[in-house]
Amino acid sequence: MRRDRPTSRSAPITVAGVLALFVLVWTLAPVVWMVVSSFKPTPAIKTASPTWLFAPTLEHYRDLIGAGNDVRPFAQNSLLAAGLSTVLAVGLGALGGYGLAHWHHKSKKHLAFWIISTRMAPIAAVILPLFILFRQLGLIDSIAGLTLAYLSFNLPFAIWLMSAFFADVPPSLEEAARVDGCSRWQAFWYVVLPTTTPGLVTTGVLCLVFSWNDYAFASSFSGPGSQTLPMAAGRLITQGGVDWGQLTALGTIIVLPMIFAGLAVRRWLVTGLTMGAVTGE
Amino acid sequence: MKRAIPSFEMRMMLPALLVLASLSLIPFVTLIVMSFSHVKLMGGIRFENAGLENWHRLLEDADVRSSWVTSLVYFALTLGIEMALGIVFALVLHRVVRGRNLLLALAIVPMFMAPIVVGLLGRFLTDSTLGLYAWALRILGFEGDLLAGKTSALFTVIGMDVWEWTPLVALVTFAGLSAVPAPLVEAAAVDGAGYFQTLRYIVFPQIRQVLLVALLVRAMDAIRFFDIITITTNGGPADATKIIPVRLYETAFRFRELGYASVIGILMLAFSILMANAFVRVLGEKGLTR
Amino acid sequence: MDGSNPVSRRSLLHGMGAFGALAYLPFLQACKGGSKEGAAGAAAEPVADVWARYKGTTINFISENTPPSAAIAANLKPFEDLTGIKVNISQMELTKLVEKVSLDFSSGQAGFHVIYADPYQVLAPFSEGLVDLSKFLDKKDSVPALENGLSDFISTQLDAGGRFLDRQKLYALPYDTPTMIWHYRADLFEKHKDKMAHDLGFDATPSIQLTWEQYYAIARWFDKNAKSEIPYGTGHQAKQHDALMCDFSNVLWAYGGDYFQAGPELGLTGTKKPGKSTLSSNEAIAAAEYYNKLLKLAHPGSRTWDWDGVASAFQAGQIAMCPNWHEFAASNEKALPGKVGYAPLPKGPKRSANMWGGTGVGINANASDKEQAAAWLFINWATSPATQFMTLASEKGGGTPTRHSVYARPEVEAAKKRPSQLPNILAAEAVSEAWKPENIGLRPKVATWNQLDTILFTQVSRMLAGELKPDEAMRSSAEKFDVVNKV
Repeated sequence: MRRDRPTSRSAPITVAGVLALFVLVWTLAPVVWMVVSSFKPTPAIKTASPTWLFAPTLEHYRDLIGAGNDVRPFAQNSLLAAGLSTVLAVGLGALGGYGLAHWHHKSKKHLAFWIISTRMAPIAAVILPLFILFRQLGLIDSIAGLTLAYLSFNLPFAIWLMSAFFADVPPSLEEAARVDGCSRWQAFWYVVLPTTTPGLVTTGVLCLVFSWNDYAFASSFSGPGSQTLPMAAGRLITQGGVDWGQLTALGTIIVLPMIFAGLAVRRWLVTGLTMGAVTGE
Repeated sequence: MKRAIPSFEMRMMLPALLVLASLSLIPFVTLIVMSFSHVKLMGGIRFENAGLENWHRLLEDADVRSSWVTSLVYFALTLGIEMALGIVFALVLHRVVRGRNLLLALAIVPMFMAPIVVGLLGRFLTDSTLGLYAWALRILGFEGDLLAGKTSALFTVIGMDVWEWTPLVALVTFAGLSAVPAPLVEAAAVDGAGYFQTLRYIVFPQIRQVLLVALLVRAMDAIRFFDIITITTNGGPADATKIIPVRLYETAFRFRELGYASVIGILMLAFSILMANAFVRVLGEKGLTR
Repeated sequence: MDGSNPVSRRSLLHGMGAFGALAYLPFLQACKGGSKEGAAGAAAEPVADVWARYKGTTINFISENTPPSAAIAANLKPFEDLTGIKVNISQMELTKLVEKVSLDFSSGQAGFHVIYADPYQVLAPFSEGLVDLSKFLDKKDSVPALENGLSDFISTQLDAGGRFLDRQKLYALPYDTPTMIWHYRADLFEKHKDKMAHDLGFDATPSIQLTWEQYYAIARWFDKNAKSEIPYGTGHQAKQHDALMCDFSNVLWAYGGDYFQAGPELGLTGTKKPGKSTLSSNEAIAAAEYYNKLLKLAHPGSRTWDWDGVASAFQAGQIAMCPNWHEFAASNEKALPGKVGYAPLPKGPKRSANMWGGTGVGINANASDKEQAAAWLFINWATSPATQFMTLASEKGGGTPTRHSVYARPEVEAAKKRPSQLPNILAAEAVSEAWKPENIGLRPKVATWNQLDTILFTQVSRMLAGELKPDEAMRSSAEKFDVVNKV
């Protein structure tokens, strides 16, 4: 971590402080407002001018678990689909990433290009044929279908990202293992892979975040038995008005786990998000 | 050391590649077939040959053309604003010495939020009856509803996207800034260069590649997501926010014209392949800042 | 609401279905024999017997987020006790419902067994996906019959909400029947009655006798004279959404315009060939010009509101009046007790037109026979007189009955006056006036309605945004209609 050496220019640093404050307010105000509103009693939310003082209540969170309105099945589905997809993506991606990193062939560039282009495919365009395919295979309204759909963007991402991590492992490490008598697989599994643990974790977290936050695939492929958390928001828009209390509570529930997960791997986030193109801390 | 195919590396890649191929090649082929068919779904899938009818229709469809224009405008504006703001944020955060870590952690919070929640939150804040931002704007004298006018609605949804993703650009740029060798900056200071001069002649050339990566990474996702628009304006008012993914979804699932929707989908794919091309060309196969 | 135990639930259901079918056969024989004897002897047993046949089945009901569905969702126990069938209710906005139903029909599996079949966006486009209910109406002894029979349903609603093209087939039982009428702040109108009469030159009390031009004058009066009490005179559901089509249609019809040439048949039974669109007529253009003028005066949020949005604004005291579905009466009463009045919409040069938005509930044809029968039990129960009365009285907002027998009940009669135990009935007088054949507004029931609807509300939205002139909006709509209908 680099630190600025103290210079004789103290004024710009204060300016930076003020600007940093603006950045923070701009960034966090909506989130804070959402979380705060989730604890406000409904009449306090519906006022024309914002209420700053109010008696906090847990009623919205309780309503979300109440009978007939339970979000727990939704949460379970989200966890299952996102989790399964992540595990598969990281598993296959680690193997594939290793292979890609060490594969030296004239077609490597083409292969890499193909992998990244699948990651970039616009979701709306992908939904169409996947819908037809899933229909034929009976995968509509199933966690398996959602898992596969998420895999369509998680897998290329995982392959590409893990290959970047593997590319950074010094070849001497593997050579030493081979000299000691390990087969290639053993060298991979027992020596190389453990050194890329940060990569595995980062890939896992990012895949989880992308899947958990998905709305388009879930909206098209889920049925009554496989609705995920983002779908739960739709129910709260009723003809009695939008239940903002429950919506903000639901929003809080959806975003908080992902924020914590993302911040946990902050150190490798840049590497992860740029798929190895930029490394930084 | 060359070995006979399939090499160990190849065998490692095979499972992943097979799964990826089935998840991408088969759908791709299906999409192409659909674009030349009338697709019937009720009571069993049937593809009836339509020849070039769907493609021909595309040429005459002014609505799809205007959606493309809207999409490009949306794309350019979101990317442009996110890059500009992201760089500014990174510079500001980099300038701060104490608590920089904490600041950075707080500043990247929006990135992890589901776009659908960002859209709903945006609705909550701009609602003319109970929205916080609507109230603030009323105090400043702005009486209308942000999502009611064509231009204001477009900028509002752009604003929501910008709010969510600027932190990504800021984070990547920050990493690039941290990689600028301190001696270079110090030498410039010794030479009497001001802050902005240092920025322009020393820092930016150093972080140019990083900025390019940030741009491409963001561009990649900007064409994929459309959740925010779906949950706020759903294309309106007056089609001002009807970007191509929204129109595709409507054509496919509201009008059930899957053949025609496939044509639109193929064009979207072509666009994303262009972007992928740029990405790979810029990056090569390995990282840039090491 | 569902989602519970997703992976195992499905296989469990399949397993149960198979097992149930096998285990069921001997009982079927016994039942058949039993009911014959029962009919011969005392008929005490068969009632419960015929309701409880499908014990253990689970069915999924997809519905718009309307008050009757909210009321039923909160009160499913009687049905579950009676039949042993578990019902999962998914409620959502109408646009999302249409998409989900479209996806479900296209998927070839019956994700949803009972479907809220909006006559225009679901029934007409997807009638092949729904079961013809005549098969249940005829199967007297193995499924419960409709209480009071089919004739208890209001006949126009049975036709408009349940049939398409073929008068012999019935695809849905009338479930709810919201109608757009004039909502207004009776307290404010009462307070300013004299001054308004003086300034405007006519009695401003909302009624079917007033004209749309007078509605405009009243709105403007509020804007000028009562800003401190109520920010805007009128508000509308003018988002680029089906709601805009609904709001605009009232004006369109009032001015003598219409979507197509065909008469009332188009709205009741529907047609395969509507012919050329008549939106380019002078009457339609006049209506568009008026609507454009009216919206310039309305609350600026109107262009972001669907019916939920305008109802929220009205209940939050942002607007003095609005055209909206009468089923919001219950939530109006909760937010503004005693302050809201209702009247049929004002008239234009031709007539007063009040958009009808009723819907029936139907059964997914992709469902298995067992599921279909279970679904029949549900829709039978959900539209029965007892349930309709329950939803009317429910705290959750209440629907409006579609059966004569419910309206005949003394409690319902009494509820027409405040304090009302059944707030939705407060609008009943206005609504029954609105249902008269000369006042009702029925939109075209055609298979291409989803496209036509989108075209209309997009073009009108452009008009409201200043992008198109009213005549351009109407003419371009008519042209696009004809392209879609291939005329």
